[in-house]
Amino acid sequence: MKYRVRHLTEYKYGSAVTLCYNMAHLLPRDTLNQICVNRRLHVTPTPIYQTESEDYFGNPTYYFSIQEPHKKLIIDMECVYDITPLERSQQLFLGSVTCGELRQLLAAAETPELRMTKEYLMDSPLIHRSSDLADYAAQTFDDTVPVLQAALDFTQKIFNEFTFDPTATSVSTPVEQVLLEKRGVCQDFAHLAIACIRSVGLPARYVSGYLETLPPPGQEKLVGADASHAWFAIYIPDMGWVEFDPTNNLMPSDQHIVTAWGRDYSDVTPLQGVIFDGGESQTIKVSVDVQRC
Amino acid sequence: MNSLVSTQTAATSTSLLTSPYKQPVGAYDEAFTSNGAARPHWQAILECITSLGMQGMQDRHSRAQRILRDDGATFNLKNDPLSPSVWALDILPNAITCAEWQHIELALQQRSTLFDLIFKDLYGEQRLLKEGIVPSEIIFAHPGFLRQCHNMNLPGIKHLTFHAVDMVRDQSGQFIAIGDRTQTPSGAGYALENRTVVSRILPSLFRDSHTMRLARFFQNVRDTLTNLASHITDSPRIVVLTPGAYSNTYFEHAYLSNHLGYPLVQGGDLTVRNGKVWMKSLTGLTQVDVIMRRLEDNYCDQAELTSDAMLGVPGLLEVARQGNVVIANPIGSGILETPALLSFLPQISQCLMNEAPLLPSVESRWCGDPEQLHYVLEHLADFIIKPAHRSTQSKSLYGHTLDKEGLANAKATILANPTEYVAQTYIPGSMMPIWDKEQLSNRPCLLRAFTVATDEGYCVMPGGLTRVADFPGEDIVTNLSGSRSKDTWILSDTPELDREVSVATIQAVQAQQSNLPSRVIENLFWFGRYAERAEMGLRLMRTTFKQLNGIDHFPDESREVLLSALSEITGCLPGFVDNPELTQQPNDELASLVIDGQRTGSIKANLQLMLSCGEQVKEMLSADTRIILNELRDHIHSLERAYINGLPAVPEESLDGLVTTLLALSGLSHESMLRGMDWMFQEIGRRTERALLTAKLLKTTLSKPLPSLQQQQILESVLLSVEALISFRRRYRTQARVSFGLDLLMIDRSNPRSLIYQVEQLRKYVNELPHTQQAGLGLSPENKLIIKSLNDIQLADLEDLAQTEESSQTRQNLELLMTEITDQLEQLTTIISDKYFDHTAGPQQLIKSKWKNDV
Repeated sequence: MKYRVRHLTEYKYGSAVTLCYNMAHLLPRDTLNQICVNRRLHVTPTPIYQTESEDYFGNPTYYFSIQEPHKKLIIDMECVYDITPLERSQQLFLGSVTCGELRQLLAAAETPELRMTKEYLMDSPLIHRSSDLADYAAQTFDDTVPVLQAALDFTQKIFNEFTFDPTATSVSTPVEQVLLEKRGVCQDFAHLAIACIRSVGLPARYVSGYLETLPPPGQEKLVGADASHAWFAIYIPDMGWVEFDPTNNLMPSDQHIVTAWGRDYSDVTPLQGVIFDGGESQTIKVSVDVQRC
Repeated sequence: MNSLVSTQTAATSTSLLTSPYKQPVGAYDEAFTSNGAARPHWQAILECITSLGMQGMQDRHSRAQRILRDDGATFNLKNDPLSPSVWALDILPNAITCAEWQHIELALQQRSTLFDLIFKDLYGEQRLLKEGIVPSEIIFAHPGFLRQCHNMNLPGIKHLTFHAVDMVRDQSGQFIAIGDRTQTPSGAGYALENRTVVSRILPSLFRDSHTMRLARFFQNVRDTLTNLASHITDSPRIVVLTPGAYSNTYFEHAYLSNHLGYPLVQGGDLTVRNGKVWMKSLTGLTQVDVIMRRLEDNYCDQAELTSDAMLGVPGLLEVARQGNVVIANPIGSGILETPALLSFLPQISQCLMNEAPLLPSVESRWCGDPEQLHYVLEHLADFIIKPAHRSTQSKSLYGHTLDKEGLANAKATILANPTEYVAQTYIPGSMMPIWDKEQLSNRPCLLRAFTVATDEGYCVMPGGLTRVADFPGEDIVTNLSGSRSKDTWILSDTPELDREVSVATIQAVQAQQSNLPSRVIENLFWFGRYAERAEMGLRLMRTTFKQLNGIDHFPDESREVLLSALSEITGCLPGFVDNPELTQQPNDELASLVIDGQRTGSIKANLQLMLSCGEQVKEMLSADTRIILNELRDHIHSLERAYINGLPAVPEESLDGLVTTLLALSGLSHESMLRGMDWMFQEIGRRTERALLTAKLLKTTLSKPLPSLQQQQILESVLLSVEALISFRRRYRTQARVSFGLDLLMIDRSNPRSLIYQVEQLRKYVNELPHTQQAGLGLSPENKLIIKSLNDIQLADLEDLAQTEESSQTRQNLELLMTEITDQLEQLTTIISDKYFDHTAGPQQLIKSKWKNDV
């Protein structure tokens, strides 16, 4: 399946910004079942300095700075992806290790892979383990349950018990509050799932990207109606990182497009940085279109 | 003479050991063997104590204190420019034999090499983690492991440029490492200052002991910093980056920057443009190639690291990542300080170097390992519990000092987060003689050693920073606060030959120094202004006191004018202006104008601001200036004492010392400062301020016509306050006419306090300032203002100015002229400040979007 993704970010400032330094996690990354076949990136005003690199997690990064006064910053990114559907059914039948076995394997940490996976067991800037979070997930991730099954159940549990509500949270709402209020958006659900899974001693990471949305039957698809999306992945020996989308209660196959992964949102913030002057009334507008092609 | 020490026989040396010098139980004694005899390498020092005697030692102790204070050797300024804590130094050096040091040197070289390899591995291949040599949780959970710094591709063979190791001796005399400093290793500058002081007060002992010199180490530091950017340039621009004047170790930053010859900069002095780092200086932006940093990892770059930090340079990390600037130590090196690494050092050393460590580390147990945790909890009283992540807030728990409840609490804390704690065996440290309270005593001590990377490996400073506990029985502390320091002497068998510093290095250094950061210039400008503001205030205050308490009757009109002028000149308005009640009972207000440091414009407030500006540019002040500033601090303290219960009986008495000291300061700036840009801006600050205040003074005192006696009193007061009364009387006898006064105060070129004198000087200085190329045609705006003021003053008709205007009953022309001149001078300061100082507001964070979508 081929997709064309257009991701347009626009910042507007009350008065001119004279200088900015930004690190973006917007460039496409290739995965086992996804390659980027074409891409175009356009930043206005034209950066005086820009570099592309790769971060600690292997995500492509784009760093730029602008030195001319500007009231508007536009980052226009267009990519064409080719995605192969993941063959899941077989793996499901094979059965995976149980949660108890995985915990033991991690404690013993006898392979380099397991040792390095521990990074996703620890607290990270936006995710702190807690006993409340552990309580919420303990039964699902019981020692006897296969990890894959548990993750599926947990994805469904979040989907059933939480309400999607874009007004309930902000970028800084802590996971604990999301758990209490049982509302939020995809980023909250992904963070909550990761926090719970780490709290019961299993490794989980944050995945960000895009999702193709389909209009209601009989209606035209609206331009800019899609958006960036976030979900999580859990590590299962012999299977690697397996992804789950709690917002939509499914396992990503060929409708999810991955741009980056890390311990949490802070590792893969689409655009971070500082500006000088003019920032007192900044607004941001993001529009994303995902089209089959 | 008192025989304090005798090294001849064990019998006489017991006189020393009776009290308070006690031979330690269960610890190594640095100076004496277990049977009470002096160790050979301590004999010279002990003999020196004997020959100096109590009084001689005490004199030297006081001299050392004085030198340290005059050198501005402070630690922890704590926002109070009046009472900085002077660096604590014990005059008795710590002596170590050359033979022993050679072993230590090798061990330290190996340790630094190892730490460099650990740094490279953690930020590169991560073999240590993959192979399980270091439990990966230690690194992954550590906030100092900066993933942004992974795979940075740094230049040079060694990435860890500076390394400091804290060591103590165990009971057998073996040195044991108890901690490492790799992020911003401090102390080398203090060690150098200690050496400077002690070699001055004990010169012959120092010389005869063949103490190894520190110069070669610092030359290596220079060479290394120069070579760091060899992939960019052969003549790199190097700066020392400090968090600022309120950093604990700011003295060291200033001291090292001066000693090494690099500009001292703060984050705001640097900016990233076109993918490179630049210093904002008087002549524009100057590229920076190497940064010796004293700013913690996380605060270095708001764009990628802690975004709300106030101190960093936004964009710095990316420049370093691309190799366009080299930072020493590299950002991210803080991770190496975790005590958790010490538990695994032998295995790490085997893995990365295939060698066993020569320098043993203190026995450390990482509580994240269940077995170790079990052991630690069982033997909690035997351990020091340290957080795995060292931060300014982190505190260690000393198990042996805890009671039952304390131990239970400690246990609960560890169990809640075992991976975050490390338990270390407590080593009390060896005992070292110190000179304390007029006698010889001893305390446990700690030695911080320093290394710097060179092309041939690591170079170890032959010496170090020895620290002793401040109170008997106190545990040794590993941070620099709350302890006393000592010079550390490595005793050689032969005298060391002095080395010559190559001339090329010196030239490069001079070229750099001439270009100063804008912030430095701005502080010097304000230093001059505040000094002048304080002096003019003091003079008028002194005159007021004399007149109010004088023998002659001082009528109400005179009183009103003089007191109102005081409110105007200090800017503490309304004050006495139009307040007859206050004018009749002026004492509390007068006392407040002198001593209320919280009140903007008061004399004390101006002096404090002046001292703060001085502190900001500490590295620019000469030794003599620092001495005068200390005198000033002393005078302020005695002023505080005199005014403790409000206005004293003879209120002007305690002001005299301050005026004299301020005069000494301006005299010094004239007589012994090079006419560089630093001097120029200080002088521009002074001259503008003096001109402004003189114009204000003339306006507020003389524009109101008074009856002749009162007029004479006021004119004389003004003349007295600007030290012109005697000249005036000589010139005009007793004819106290206002126009004569204006002649002397406004247009007399020979009077260094006249208005015209200030403006003419300003004209000279402003013409010498660097001008930008794209300046427009004709005179620059600042020149226009100055010429306008000069003309206004010179063309004024003095008799006309002294005339009273009928309708308003004021000397309106005088008032108008002085207002005009004040406005022009205010504009001048604005133009200079806009043109030469930096006005960038701090960076703001870009708002972040939230991934919001649903299907």
